[in-house]
Amino acid sequence: MGLLAPLFLLGLAAIAVPIVIHMIQRERKEVIEFPSLMFVRRIPFHSFRRQRIRHWFLLLLRCAALVLLVLAFARPFVRSPALAAVTDGAREVVILLDRSYSMGFGDHWERARDAARDAVNGLAPDDRATLIFFDSGAAAGPRSTTERASLRGLIRDVELGAGVTRYGPALKLAEGIFESSELPRLEAVMISDFQRSGVDSAAGIRFPEGAVLTPVPIGSDVAAANVSVAGVLFHREYFSGRERVAVGARLTNRGAVAIEGLGVSLEMDGRPVETLTADLPANGSVTVDFAAVTLTDVRVPGAVRVEADTLPADDVFHFVISPGQVVRVLVVGNERSAPEADLYLTRALGIGSAPAFDVRSTTLAAFEAADLDDRQVVVLNDVGAPPGDAGGALADWVAAGGGLLVAAGERSAWPAGAPDLLPGGVGSPQDRAGRGGALGYVDYTHPVFEVFAAPRSGDVTTARFFRYRPIEPQAEAVTLARFDDGQPALVERRIGRGNVLLWASGLDSFWNDLAKKPVYLPFVHRLTEYLADYRPPTPWFPAGQVLNLSEQEVALGTGGLAEAEFVVMSPSGRRIPVSAGDRAGFIDLAEQGLYEVHDARAADPRPLTLAVNVDLAESDLTAVDPEELAATLTGRVGQGREASAPVREISAGDLERRQSVWWYLLVAAFLLLVGETVVSNRLSRTVLTAD
Amino acid sequence: MDAQPAAPGARFVDPNALARIGSLELLARTVVDGFINGLHKAPYLGVSIDFAEHRMYMPGDDIRFMDWRVFARTDRFYVKTFEADTNANFSVLFDVSRSMSFTSGGVSKLDYGRYLAACLTYFSTKQRDRVGLVTFDDDIVTRVPPSAKHLEVVLHTLDRIEAGRPGSFERPLFKATEFFKRRGILLFISDFYDEPQAIVDALKPFRYGGNDVLVFHVLDPAEIDFPYDDATSFQDLETGRKLPVVPEKLREQYRQLVQEHVGALSKLCGENRIDYAMFNTSQPLDHALFQYLAMRHKLTRVR
Repeated sequence: MGLLAPLFLLGLAAIAVPIVIHMIQRERKEVIEFPSLMFVRRIPFHSFRRQRIRHWFLLLLRCAALVLLVLAFARPFVRSPALAAVTDGAREVVILLDRSYSMGFGDHWERARDAARDAVNGLAPDDRATLIFFDSGAAAGPRSTTERASLRGLIRDVELGAGVTRYGPALKLAEGIFESSELPRLEAVMISDFQRSGVDSAAGIRFPEGAVLTPVPIGSDVAAANVSVAGVLFHREYFSGRERVAVGARLTNRGAVAIEGLGVSLEMDGRPVETLTADLPANGSVTVDFAAVTLTDVRVPGAVRVEADTLPADDVFHFVISPGQVVRVLVVGNERSAPEADLYLTRALGIGSAPAFDVRSTTLAAFEAADLDDRQVVVLNDVGAPPGDAGGALADWVAAGGGLLVAAGERSAWPAGAPDLLPGGVGSPQDRAGRGGALGYVDYTHPVFEVFAAPRSGDVTTARFFRYRPIEPQAEAVTLARFDDGQPALVERRIGRGNVLLWASGLDSFWNDLAKKPVYLPFVHRLTEYLADYRPPTPWFPAGQVLNLSEQEVALGTGGLAEAEFVVMSPSGRRIPVSAGDRAGFIDLAEQGLYEVHDARAADPRPLTLAVNVDLAESDLTAVDPEELAATLTGRVGQGREASAPVREISAGDLERRQSVWWYLLVAAFLLLVGETVVSNRLSRTVLTAD
Repeated sequence: MDAQPAAPGARFVDPNALARIGSLELLARTVVDGFINGLHKAPYLGVSIDFAEHRMYMPGDDIRFMDWRVFARTDRFYVKTFEADTNANFSVLFDVSRSMSFTSGGVSKLDYGRYLAACLTYFSTKQRDRVGLVTFDDDIVTRVPPSAKHLEVVLHTLDRIEAGRPGSFERPLFKATEFFKRRGILLFISDFYDEPQAIVDALKPFRYGGNDVLVFHVLDPAEIDFPYDDATSFQDLETGRKLPVVPEKLREQYRQLVQEHVGALSKLCGENRIDYAMFNTSQPLDHALFQYLAMRHKLTRVR
């Protein structure tokens, strides 16, 4: 018999409390009125304490409850040899089975499952086992079970995944199982190809003292040769008014032997389009360019395949080609401006394929509401507010979601009666003497400037500004850039669903030399893309990503995610659920291939196709020494299966936790207290009745 | 006090049940009529209208009482005299001091005394006695002079009395002696919280005035048994003084003191020919009637 927290026994001193309460004078608060105290006063007064204990049964109940409570807190346990004999030698076994796609190499997967079955068959009757399947994540079957049939069923039903190898989640799960185990021997059996790429995720994980890791490597002794399609590139061009795309595929050979005449084929919409041959150097890569294909108006799934090798998962690369995105821009200039006033802007927007910019120019005098019909962005370049109905139409168009860029210039008058569109008041032009000013503050977290945030990605502060109009931003406006004298340079304001950006200087070369700087092109592109709320389509997703379908709803053509009724088919043909509630519209892209997302309420019956490819980091089959990994996890070097059976001495804490005597004591104390309540209430009622 | 054995046919009514009867007259009738019905064969129910003697007619006598038969035989005028009524004055002197309001759960001493007074007054009226009432605490509170027609006034007064002030015996009883120049039966109802000698000294003048004095000592069961358990403060109803008391420790001494007080009072009353009886408010009222009639019977025999 032992106590885990003997200091709590000091609480036994509390037994004195009920005893004292029972012995001391307990004077009732209420005063009893009596006809005459004539006789009472005649009795000599004695001060005394009640030294006779009344209600012995009640006192015993209270004392017993207190004793049980104190003992419960002291957490007693029994060191019984019989109890130890039952548990000595039993093992807590965790079988970790790698199901990453690299296990599909040759016959690795079958060998791995056989090894898992062997581990299950090797369990002693008293052993308990847990099966954990892992790739980038980990999932456990029934925990600490003795049901061998259940474990074998799990091994039979498990399928190879499309994820990469990450040991961390699985080992963390095993660590948790070991820590909660009461068995004296802890053993993990890891069945894997032990790729080095997954080792980093295991950093910081340490099994409990006495636990051992038995690695079961599934791999080839020879250096594994593997060819993979590392990725594809799209070269878009327009020919005869039709958009064409030339697909280029990058192939990688991770083997030590060069490969010649490797067949590479391009498939579009499930049909082979072209097959080429490629020569790959040892441990090298090569790019294969296919002939351009003409695109239609719809998204087309495609794939690049190489001849299958021992690891087929990375021999194909799926993608979806979307028709080229076009941002439609209306540039409103001044009829009295110099001809080159819009030159830099229109030329800059004329360059670009992702997206392409469809630029139309007009003058302020000719500007009318009908010009806004198919436009996404309007640039008011050195002009004032559109007069009359056109101004009102522009305000409505912005509130409905249009993007407006106002570039200040000599003629940027914005009279008081004009629509309230600007982010701030525009003052008279202000000259900067000498070398002029420059941008002093830029919000690089804003989508317009984030492309310049990285080093050597363009410096917008090199441009010199000789004249600009001072801006007094409104309260709700946000200043995205300032000149070096503190004056706002670019100010943003949201109006309804639309955006307005006010640029304090011109977009030509009259007031600044920004147009002659290399950053001008990406700056103007980012301005326009941001105002058009442009989101480039994603041609493929990595396996294991959780996709938010709400970001795909434009492609689905529905009225909104809330009205959508999704049906998602996986590449293996299974219908998979779409999350509901707070995470509505999320799907887990776990498989490699093409997912089809149908919206039952969409007018367009064509499904949204999503291409999912495996992470090529898994293609690197370089293995780590399993013993090295085991040593990292257990803190012991050179352990073997024979040496890995140290009987863990069951600590007092484990014994106490296993027996949980405190729980029974607590229940008994509770029952005694209930009894005490009943008894004391009955006694109180008796006294009251007597009164 | 030990319970008196019930007489055959007597109907004992619980005071708590009587307390639910609102009208004192109805209450008195309920108790007394039932009592009389139960005792109609009792030997001491002999006070009635009886022929006493003949005497010579004197001018001024009522000729309705002339005995014409005697005149016819003797040719002399005789009138009949009757011993019909006792014509006694029956007065209740009722202590309405604050201590009388005490109750330990049943009928208060004041109510019990009220019932006693009402029943005996009604009973006396039945016997053609003149009935009166004096209530007192530290002074005379109310007074109803004895009269044959004052039953309802007495009952009404009894109905209204309330116990409010501290009480004493010497001063109010000294004053009350002035009310009873004519001999009569005086019934004192009180809890008699005073020294026995002082009480008897206050009663003596009534006895010396030729009155038949009866003393009904009314006590609550709690005053006799002191059944309290937990230590607490006790407050004197009359003086308001508080005293911390451990009843468990005092109980035996208290009971002894009460018994000594009752014994001393009973002894002193006996020595002064005052009839004393103690009543427990938990006892039926019928017992009080027994007590009273036993005393009356004794008085009749003496007379």
